[in-house]
Amino acid sequence: MGFIELTVLNNTARQAAIGIDLGTTNSLGALWKDGRPIVLHPEGGNGYVPSAIYFGDDGSIVVGREARDRALIDPEHALFSIKRFMGRGLKDVAQDAKSVPCPLGENPNGVIEFEMRGKKYTPQELSALILLKVHDIACRTLGGHETTKVVITVPAYFDDAQRSATRDAARLAGLDVLRIVNEPTAASLAYGLDQKKQGTVAVFDLGGGTFDVSLLSIEEGVFRVLSTHGDTHLGGDDLDHLLVQAAMEDLSRTIPATTLRDRGFQQLLRLAAEKCKIELSTAPEAGMHVHLPEAALHWRRRFTREEFEQLAAPVIERAIDACRKALADAKLELTAIDEVVLVGGATRIPLVRRRVEEFFGRKPHTELNPDEVVALGAAVQAHVLTGGTRDILLMDVTPLSLGMETLGGAVAKVILRNSTIPCSATEGFTTYADNQTGIDFHVVQGERELARDCRTLGRFKLSGIPPLPAGMARVAVKFHIDANGLLTVSAKEEITGATARIEVTPMNGLTDGEVEGMLKESYVHARADFDASRLSNLKVEVGTMLRATEHGLREYKSALDKETVRDLDDSMASVRAALELSDVTALQKARDVFERATLPLAAVMMDNVAKRALTGKRLDEV
Amino acid sequence: MAAAEFARAASPFEVFGLETAYALDKEALRRRLLRFSRLVHPDFFATQGDEARRLAEQLSAALNRAHEILANDASRADWIVRHLGGPDESSERAMPQAFLMEVLEWNEALEAARAAPVGSPERATIERLAGELESRRRALFEGIARQLAPLPAEKSAPLAALRKELNAARYLDKTLAEIAALRVTQALSQ
Repeated sequence: MGFIELTVLNNTARQAAIGIDLGTTNSLGALWKDGRPIVLHPEGGNGYVPSAIYFGDDGSIVVGREARDRALIDPEHALFSIKRFMGRGLKDVAQDAKSVPCPLGENPNGVIEFEMRGKKYTPQELSALILLKVHDIACRTLGGHETTKVVITVPAYFDDAQRSATRDAARLAGLDVLRIVNEPTAASLAYGLDQKKQGTVAVFDLGGGTFDVSLLSIEEGVFRVLSTHGDTHLGGDDLDHLLVQAAMEDLSRTIPATTLRDRGFQQLLRLAAEKCKIELSTAPEAGMHVHLPEAALHWRRRFTREEFEQLAAPVIERAIDACRKALADAKLELTAIDEVVLVGGATRIPLVRRRVEEFFGRKPHTELNPDEVVALGAAVQAHVLTGGTRDILLMDVTPLSLGMETLGGAVAKVILRNSTIPCSATEGFTTYADNQTGIDFHVVQGERELARDCRTLGRFKLSGIPPLPAGMARVAVKFHIDANGLLTVSAKEEITGATARIEVTPMNGLTDGEVEGMLKESYVHARADFDASRLSNLKVEVGTMLRATEHGLREYKSALDKETVRDLDDSMASVRAALELSDVTALQKARDVFERATLPLAAVMMDNVAKRALTGKRLDEV
Repeated sequence: MAAAEFARAASPFEVFGLETAYALDKEALRRRLLRFSRLVHPDFFATQGDEARRLAEQLSAALNRAHEILANDASRADWIVRHLGGPDESSERAMPQAFLMEVLEWNEALEAARAAPVGSPERATIERLAGELESRRRALFEGIARQLAPLPAEKSAPLAALRKELNAARYLDKTLAEIAALRVTQALSQ
């Protein structure tokens, strides 16, 4: 019963923080409650927010399940898999760009822009809308007690640009990011806590769009990552794509190419492929159906699990390769791995389970729902970060080496991959001309030897160096990778002590000014949309509370004193009046007063619930 | 140690409250890392002010850096040689004479293995080579440990000899890493 849950939550004074798994295909929020993490799912739904956005012809923007449904009818105005564009430039996303229905552009700093119904949106702004939706659902579950504090997960193999983009998305959503946590590490927290694990654990995380493997040692509540490897472009979507391609080959014989390439038709194919893939996880064979009445097309084909596995094997081998590399980096033999944990929806595929078991030589853990475990872990970390416990500590690593371009285009590594974060390194620079007051340098991330083969994080311009003879200035540039895996750079001239100024031109990233500008414009607009949805949600919630209270009063009125009953009657009347007004602030206020008035009643009800529970009935049966 | 002092401490041994010495109980080092991390990690300061958060970041970074130096035999010995005023790898680039002869042999074996197709007998020799390099590395560090206990005097002659041996150790580590990479690609193409 929702009402009692709400009351229990109110008793926790410490401000909660929500853990959010911002996924390629689905996003999910979770919260620490009563000594464990729980997934937030109001109204009996499963809580997943499909990471989909639909742009209506009236200027409205819809996010989540509804957006996915609208995309079936009007695919030209829907966007999916935004995560694949975060912190990337156009040249990085050529493959993904093919499935985008709208024109794509790039701003001067190489941030992708989607042009939808005459307006431009960056992936950061679109991800902000998804975050707002998840946050909104979470806050409703919290009973309207808003918290802006969040922990957001990202693939472990995300680079600095992708992490920065995620942080900027949260800022645009008006959220306060306590920490960006790596998905496999978050999953290990949820598992470690659930299973009281000690030892060396491998987390194999194959999600919708990304793959990570992390090796951790768990010891007395400290979760220490030893190495991580992955591919930010490898996931369940790729397996769907293989089925779509097989279907297209088949269909190309019977239907015209224009229909085949039609976005609506492609979307139908993708959904049919996904459904078929999921069925094949439990059945030895499954059908893929495409029904298009207007083209008088009714196509179906059966795939056996064996056929699917032949298609999928090369993709899964790429994930196993990453496991070998992670082991080599951690200098661990296979025999050193005590436990293997599976995370991500695609690990439901029998072939994935079989290959992981073969490779590691032990049965992987699958006790927790692979779609929920990352969000649950984020909630554990949120609990730690808000001061809930000091018994758990997560020590993560940076997935990629950080380096600087040297003369000749080579890379001088400054921080090596798999270094424990936070970490810093200081590099000395000097001038090569008399009275030179500035130095430019190019910071890259990656393992390749040449700067042009690595990813540019930014070009830094150091200025304000005091005029000195060539080679005399001693500039110390400090690189710091923080606990979020995000880089900051600062510089100091050591002889004169002058603090050199550093200007950063981020690559594929937003500047602070841009974020502020966007906050002023689009976010206000988005907030108005959310106020509307918040009002309708509040109305539903208040309705539930009213019914629960009426029900409670019928049974327990005699157990309450006169004053309590009068308060309850008064506040119920105010809430009913506020319902008529349709003002979100007024209704929220009335709701809060009403909720306080119900506390004594809730206490009486809780007593009874507890009594019944003690006599052997489970709480959710009451 | 006061927080600011801790962050500034140049010596990784001081950061961990240890005497400067090559010999090290790695188990104890790991336990201290975990214990100290529980005190300074930014996770425990996330809802506090900017200054507290900044300090936690700094302290944690200093702790992790110190641990990285101490946990690895080569970087720990390297730090001690520098600390005692010995030459660094840019002023003393040579390797011990006896070692140089072996390097030539190893390089040949590695080249042959690299050029040979995956699965060939030449490839199999890298396993033997890896074993040889590992045992050579162990012997090298046993020697380094003996020379560092007790610590040589500052700027003394043995420090230059130690630098040469550390150069040899760097060569061994680089070669072993190349072999590890070859192994991975070998496993990948099977």
